[in-house]
Amino acid sequence: MGGILPPAERHSSALLGVFAAISLLLLVMGDRLPTSGLRGLGAWIFTPLDRVVLFVDRMAAAWRENRVLHARLAELELENQHLRSAGVENQQLREHLDLPPWPNLNLRPVEVLALTGEPIPTAAILSAGSRQNVHVGDAAVTDAGLLGRIGEAYPNQSRVVLLTDPNSAVACEVESTGVLGVLRFAFSPRPRLLLSGVPNSDTVRVGQRVLTSGLSRRYPRGIPVGVVRSLGRDPSGLMQEVEVAPAAEISRLRHGFVIPQTEPVRGMP
Amino acid sequence: MKAVAAVVVFVIVTLLLRSTALTALAARGVVIDVLAFATVVWAMRHGESGGTTFGFVLGIAADLDAAHWMGRHALLLALLGYTVGRLSHTLVRDSARTQCVLLFLATVVHQTWAAAFEFGGVQAWPHLLQRVILAGVATAPLGTLLLGILRRVSGQSLFSHAALPTRTAT
Repeated sequence: MGGILPPAERHSSALLGVFAAISLLLLVMGDRLPTSGLRGLGAWIFTPLDRVVLFVDRMAAAWRENRVLHARLAELELENQHLRSAGVENQQLREHLDLPPWPNLNLRPVEVLALTGEPIPTAAILSAGSRQNVHVGDAAVTDAGLLGRIGEAYPNQSRVVLLTDPNSAVACEVESTGVLGVLRFAFSPRPRLLLSGVPNSDTVRVGQRVLTSGLSRRYPRGIPVGVVRSLGRDPSGLMQEVEVAPAAEISRLRHGFVIPQTEPVRGMP
Repeated sequence: MKAVAAVVVFVIVTLLLRSTALTALAARGVVIDVLAFATVVWAMRHGESGGTTFGFVLGIAADLDAAHWMGRHALLLALLGYTVGRLSHTLVRDSARTQCVLLFLATVVHQTWAAAFEFGGVQAWPHLLQRVILAGVATAPLGTLLLGILRRVSGQSLFSHAALPTRTAT
């Protein structure tokens, strides 16, 4: 074949052969390569460019959000007064029942610089890294609910593995009933979040809120994850298939918060 | 050196668009396949060697960004670059119809390949089909429109070796 083709085409065919061989090799063993450092370098290069591209969008959004947030702030001030007294009451009751106190979540504000994955984002780059005390395993949230956990921490940026990553799993409970399950992302037959491992005997209703259960110890308990959207049976017929609509708007992320892990949890696999 | 710098700049701009401006659209189900678009345009302009190299470099960068299945974008985009580069010798590259068809086919092939790694089982086919067709329908006209605008702005053919024959007055 090399003799039939003209020299220029032989060169391009050889180039394609080399690139195809490298790609196939990467497909077979690419997951074993330490690529985290390269992604860190990429995040470092892209951070200022992301900020420039997002500047106009963020300014317009900030203008709109400012008006909404003023109204919301007034509402929340009133609600906060009520919750403070309820919190004191809750703390006293937990003390009487010898239950451990609820942990105080220390929120670290961060900017979401970029999203990865089509059509559903599976990861996000945040504007804070290990120098800002953001570590692998920390939970990432928005004001609406859970986003995921820090998968890689670079010096000044970090990468969040979102709930929509196929390798992500979150131990959850259904609010008020305490039904437990594990939240995973499924691509088939269409992309959606599923609460798996819920027995048929457990009662779950559409519209109920799903929160982190704290059982996996990766996430603090009580962070909103989503709302039950629909119910069905899993293919085995033994468990329920609970579809959950995410609380956080994953397609439109601008800002978020990182919740540092508590000391005993850090270092867990 | 100039060519390497051009490849790097074009790759960065493509990835930047993909991870910022186009993510909101993609999450709503309308994927503008900027990777396929960039590879097709580069291959039409620089031929099969340039197209193959550009597709591979862009694909590797996208694979690193995605963190799963390294090599999947690199393999297909290199193949796309090569194929479009080869075809561009015989096609009228400045024809909007040619560009639209090439962009549609490239997007459909790329999206099908990329989605094949994510979706499993026959039950996912309807969603896969919907995603692939939507991406093709969105990317091809938008890409053709963008190329038309660029041609108007620059005032010259983007693909100089195969300009449309100009009409002469009779």
